[in-house]
Amino acid sequence: MAIYEEPGRPRNWQERLAIWRDRLYDRLFHNYIWRSIFRSGYPNTPRNQMLVVATNIFLHLHPTRIHRTHAKVTHTYCLGGLTFFMFIILTVTGVLLMFYYVPDVNRAWQDIAALETNVRFGLLMRNLHRWTAHGMVILVFLHMMRVFYTGAYKPPREFNWVVGVMLLFLTLLMSFTGYLLPWDQLAIWAITVGHGIGGSTPYLGDEVQQVLFGGFEIGQNALIRFYTLHVLGLPLLSAILMAVHFWRVRRDGGLARPL
Amino acid sequence: MAVEVRRAVPRPALRPRREREEEVLVWPDLLFPEFISAVLFLFTFILLSVFINAPLLNQANPNITPNPSKAPWYFLNLQELLLHMDKAWAGVLLPGLFLLFLAVIPYIDRSNEGQGVWFGTQYSVRITLVTAFYSMAITWLLVLFDAGKFERLTRFFPTCSEDAQHHWPPCLTGGANGLGGARELYTRLRFSIGDFDWPQDWRFPLPKLGGFSELHFKNLHLWGDMNINVAAVMVEQVIPLVIVFGLAALLVYGLFRIGWVRTTRDVMIVLFTGAMSSYLALTIVGSFFRGAGQALIPPTDLRVDCGTVPAPPGCP
Ligand code: HEM
Repeated sequence: MAIYEEPGRPRNWQERLAIWRDRLYDRLFHNYIWRSIFRSGYPNTPRNQMLVVATNIFLHLHPTRIHRTHAKVTHTYCLGGLTFFMFIILTVTGVLLMFYYVPDVNRAWQDIAALETNVRFGLLMRNLHRWTAHGMVILVFLHMMRVFYTGAYKPPREFNWVVGVMLLFLTLLMSFTGYLLPWDQLAIWAITVGHGIGGSTPYLGDEVQQVLFGGFEIGQNALIRFYTLHVLGLPLLSAILMAVHFWRVRRDGGLARPL
Repeated sequence: MAVEVRRAVPRPALRPRREREEEVLVWPDLLFPEFISAVLFLFTFILLSVFINAPLLNQANPNITPNPSKAPWYFLNLQELLLHMDKAWAGVLLPGLFLLFLAVIPYIDRSNEGQGVWFGTQYSVRITLVTAFYSMAITWLLVLFDAGKFERLTRFFPTCSEDAQHHWPPCLTGGANGLGGARELYTRLRFSIGDFDWPQDWRFPLPKLGGFSELHFKNLHLWGDMNINVAAVMVEQVIPLVIVFGLAALLVYGLFRIGWVRTTRDVMIVLFTGAMSSYLALTIVGSFFRGAGQALIPPTDLRVDCGTVPAPPGCP
């Protein structure tokens, strides 16, 4: 990058600035530590850009080239990607919330109240977790509608659509199980409505209530079940299914387009 | 033994050959929009979280039931359905069927028609718009009917008293008002055909089966004399389901007759759009129009947190 072919003094302030800029750039990006993390500089040729996408662990979810119709934002509106992004924010904020929350009916509510008032950025983290959860539910519906109205479930993508339906269901379940955790009046009565709905399953109502809610009323059993599912079981399952989902998008030849 | 796999549509090659000049590089043409949209969303959600706090009501108290108790918003549609039909259908079976329907769409519609472009079939935009309007309007009308808003239209029924026997023609007990909702067909309608009295149980005798006069599996009645509450089955199950599926079939048929619906893809568009639109309409009703006792009220009268102590103003 830096060019020192003219050893003489800079002639004006623009040249002086350019020299300082190049030195700064060198200091920041051409040092031993930076180069140990990123082996090459900014990829400014098409060849290097493809190489980065193919070899970077985070970027390699993508192909290196896509059809130009799919690069238009109006084809996907980035909805699937944004759903995934919500999932990431939820994981990060969720881990932070877990530091302060104990799923015990006698202290869950106090923990949340304390988190809001005593913990620096606690309220912000809780708000972010709540609003992005709602965001994810809305986005997953919108993503499904975009896939449907672009006819992208057609062969060979049938099964990826089915994986998507499972992800939709899991997203709703993750949101629902999280709803109980603050253990306030909103939480237990909303889950009580769900408990009633589960109990109305024909012939298996009692079993459904036992398995999902741990009993015939919303108490400690329900709380620990919902907590475990919410922080571990459902996100893990979703992450696996998302991996399958993304893999299938690639294996099915990228996004759908007219044959 | 070889298994023969039969396919209605020949499956296209998994990776169709691409024209290189039709392609763009992911860096920058995809990564840039992705990055920008992620930053925008993150920024928006942080702003939202700075200004609006997530609700935290009083600590849970099993002895104080808020009125109304509401499920999370994305399940309010099911809670709304509960008001209109049998709870197993509303809460479990219809949503289950909806998910199942979603999952089988690609196995029913296997053509490549309209694949990969927005609204790829000839009339899909107008089908979608008409269906969305139809479904939302009808959902609203049905909700209003069950709230008794069309009571005047059913005043043609004669009135009769609760204890009178053998009614014909059908009559309504309890005053001169018409039907205040479908469930009043059960609570207020009276008529008799032969020795069957609506809404009494209908006793249906069955012969003994191999020595068993009755056979049960848990609460599932398998064999034996049956007492069927015909009126309850009709009002809670048959009528709502005929309305739900009948109106959907009617729309598909109507659009087919006028030539807008032509292919399986079009049928799927109608069914998907209809289900999603009713789902949305029910969510809106459940979220903004249901007050204490699940009464239908304008959103301006909404009170949410009557479960807190002390109860805020406007709570019973
Ligand atoms: C947690 C939920 C989900 C995540 C994170 C997710 C993510 C994604 C992403 C990133 C893509 C790439 C294209 C795009 O952004 O639109 C995609 C494509 C796709 N998704 Fe999802 N998705 C989810 C749920 C669903 C649901 C509910 C469905 C349908 C019921 C679905 C069906 C599909 C299909 C069929 C494709 C291929 C689209 C095409 O070829 O154009 N996904 N998904």
